[in-house]
Amino acid sequence: MYSLTDTENLLLSSDEEEDVQLTPAEVIEMMEGAWINEKFAPEILPHRSEIVDCLLAQVTSMEENIQGLDSSDFKKSIHQLEVDRLRFLVSSYLRTRLEKIECYSTHILKEEAERSRRGEESYLSEQESVFARNFSQGLEFYFDKLLNFYPGLPTESWSSRIIEPNLHSFIFVKSKTDVEGVIIDDGTDGDDLADFRAGTPILISYNSVSGLVKKGDVNLI
Amino acid sequence: MYGEKGFALIKELSRCKETLPPYNTDLVNAVSNEIKQLLEQIKDAQSTSDNESALVTAGSKISTITIAHAGIKRNLRCLLSYHYNRIKCLRTMRWEFGSILPADIKVNLSAEEIEWFSKYSQMLASYMRSIGDEGVNLAIDMKPPKALYIEVRCLVDYGRFELTDGSVLLLKKDSRHYLPRSECEELIRQGVFQHIV
Amino acid sequence: MALHPSYAPNFYSIEDILATQERIPCKFLGNVPDMGHLNPSTLEKDLAAGTVLELPVWLVQELSLGRHSIVATELPKIYKESYREILKADACAVDLHKFNLYFYELGKHIKHFDRKGDVHDILLHTFKTRFRQIMDLADHSVSDPTVQERLETLEARLFSDAYDARTKLNAWLVESGAILEAANMVVNHKKRKRMNLDIIM
Repeated sequence: MYSLTDTENLLLSSDEEEDVQLTPAEVIEMMEGAWINEKFAPEILPHRSEIVDCLLAQVTSMEENIQGLDSSDFKKSIHQLEVDRLRFLVSSYLRTRLEKIECYSTHILKEEAERSRRGEESYLSEQESVFARNFSQGLEFYFDKLLNFYPGLPTESWSSRIIEPNLHSFIFVKSKTDVEGVIIDDGTDGDDLADFRAGTPILISYNSVSGLVKKGDVNLI
Repeated sequence: MYGEKGFALIKELSRCKETLPPYNTDLVNAVSNEIKQLLEQIKDAQSTSDNESALVTAGSKISTITIAHAGIKRNLRCLLSYHYNRIKCLRTMRWEFGSILPADIKVNLSAEEIEWFSKYSQMLASYMRSIGDEGVNLAIDMKPPKALYIEVRCLVDYGRFELTDGSVLLLKKDSRHYLPRSECEELIRQGVFQHIV
Repeated sequence: MALHPSYAPNFYSIEDILATQERIPCKFLGNVPDMGHLNPSTLEKDLAAGTVLELPVWLVQELSLGRHSIVATELPKIYKESYREILKADACAVDLHKFNLYFYELGKHIKHFDRKGDVHDILLHTFKTRFRQIMDLADHSVSDPTVQERLETLEARLFSDAYDARTKLNAWLVESGAILEAANMVVNHKKRKRMNLDIIM
C-alpha cells in the first residue's frame, strides 16, 4: 500500500538536464508554498507545473491503490482524506491562477510577449497560455461586437485601458534567511532600506519584495 | 447633461450585487444613440470651423468639440463598464451554478452574453481537460476537506443517488444521511444537501 | 471567489464611475457655442463666458486638460477651510456620509485642482483618524448602527470586510469543522425564487 511515509523518492522533472529527486513530503511542501504565494501575490507568479504534474501523478497512483482496499477498512478513509486534501491543494492553486489570468488577461499576455522577446521563461504554463489567449480573444470579440454600432468610433479609449494588478498592495512575508538591504518601494523617491531576519514576519509593499518572492528567497504568509 | 443614461446603467448594476438584472437593451441603445449624436455634432462643428475664416468662432468651437468629446468618452466608459461587470458576474455564475444556468437567470441575459458564457464554459472545460494526464475538474474541491464523514439533510426530493462504491440511496426531502464528505460536496454546493454540524 | 485583490479602482470600476458623477462648482472662461443647454437656467443656444455651474467631475477633468483650460474650478465646500477645520478638530465625530457619499474618492480627483495640497493632507488625516474607529467597530460582535450610518462608502466597505473577517475568524476559533455551504449565488437565487412565488400566490 502506497503511503506518504514511504521513503521512495519522486522524480521532479524540470528544464534542467538532471531530474531532481524529492521525497513526496518535499513535493507537498513545495506545492503548499507555491499555493500560498500565489494566493497572496497581487500579480501572477511563475508557474510551477512540474510540481503540479508530479503531485497529480502521485494522487492518481494513490487513488488506484485505495480502490484495492476494503470499504470497511479504516485506512481507506484516511488515505481518501489525504488524497482529497492534495486534490484541493492543486485545484485551489490552479483556480487562483485562472482568476488572475482572467482578471488581467491583456496585461499578462503583454508581459508574456515581452518575456518571450527577452528570452526569459514564461510565467504561464502552456495550457494556461492557450486559455489566456482564448479568454482574451473572447472578450475582444464581445466588445468589438458591442462597439460596432458606429464604424469609426474612437475606441482607443478602451483598448488602451488595460487592467493591471496593484503591485503596491501590502503583503506579509517571512524570509527564509537573513536578507540585507531590501529597498522599500513605497512609490516615493525615498531609498529606505530594510533588513530581513530569517523567520520574522514583515508587512511590506509587494513591489519591494517581488523579485525575492519569485526567486524563492522569501515566502508570503 | 450628457452621460445621464450611461450613468443610469451603472446605477442599475450598483444596486444588485449578487445577481444580474435583465439586460437593459433600451438604455444601452439610448446610450449608443447619444454617442452617435455627439459624433455627428463634432463632425458639424469641425466642418463649420473649416468653412468660416473667423478665428474667434473657430477657436470657441474647440470648446464645443471638447465637451462633446468628453460626453462620448463618458458614455463609452459607462457602456463598457456595464458590459464588463455583467460578464464578470456571469463568470462567477459559471463557477457557482455550473455550466448550465437556471432558466430564470438565463432570461435576464442578452444573446451575446449567452454566447460568451457558452464559449467561456468551453475554454474552461478544454483547459481542465489538458491538466495532468487525465484532466482535473477544478469546479469541485472548493473547500479544504476537514472530516471524513459528514451528516447531511436532504432539502428536496432528489430521488435515487448512486455512491462511488455502487450502493444506491433514496434521497427524500428531510431525510438525514451520514456520508463520506467527498460524495456530498457537489450536492451541497447545488443546494440539494444541507451540511449539519 | 478566492481572489481578493486590494482596492484599486480601474477604468471599469463602478465605484469610480459613481464617484466621478459628483458635481463641483466651476466658471466658464469663454463662450461655448451650442452648449447653452448645459445651463438649466437659460434658454440661450450658447453658453456665455462667466457662467457658473455645478458640473460632474468627469466633465471638469476633461475641460481642465492642457494649458488652455475652459473652466476655472472651485473647491466644493466640504473640502474648504471651514470644513477642514471641523475634520481636524475631531474627525471621528463627523458624519462623513453627510459630507459626501464618496468623500475620499471625490477628494482624490479634486486634489488635482488644489495647488496648495490642503485637500491631500485632510484626506490623509481624516482617513488615518477614522480608520482606528472602523477597526474597533468591526471587532465588536454587536455593531452600533448609528456609527455605521456616519461612514462614507469606502469606510463602509472596509468595515464590512473587516466585520466578515472577524466573524469568520471567530467561527474558526470556536469550531474547526468547516461547514460546507451551497454556493452564495445558489442560496440567494433560491431565496428570490421563493419570494417571487410568495408574491404570485
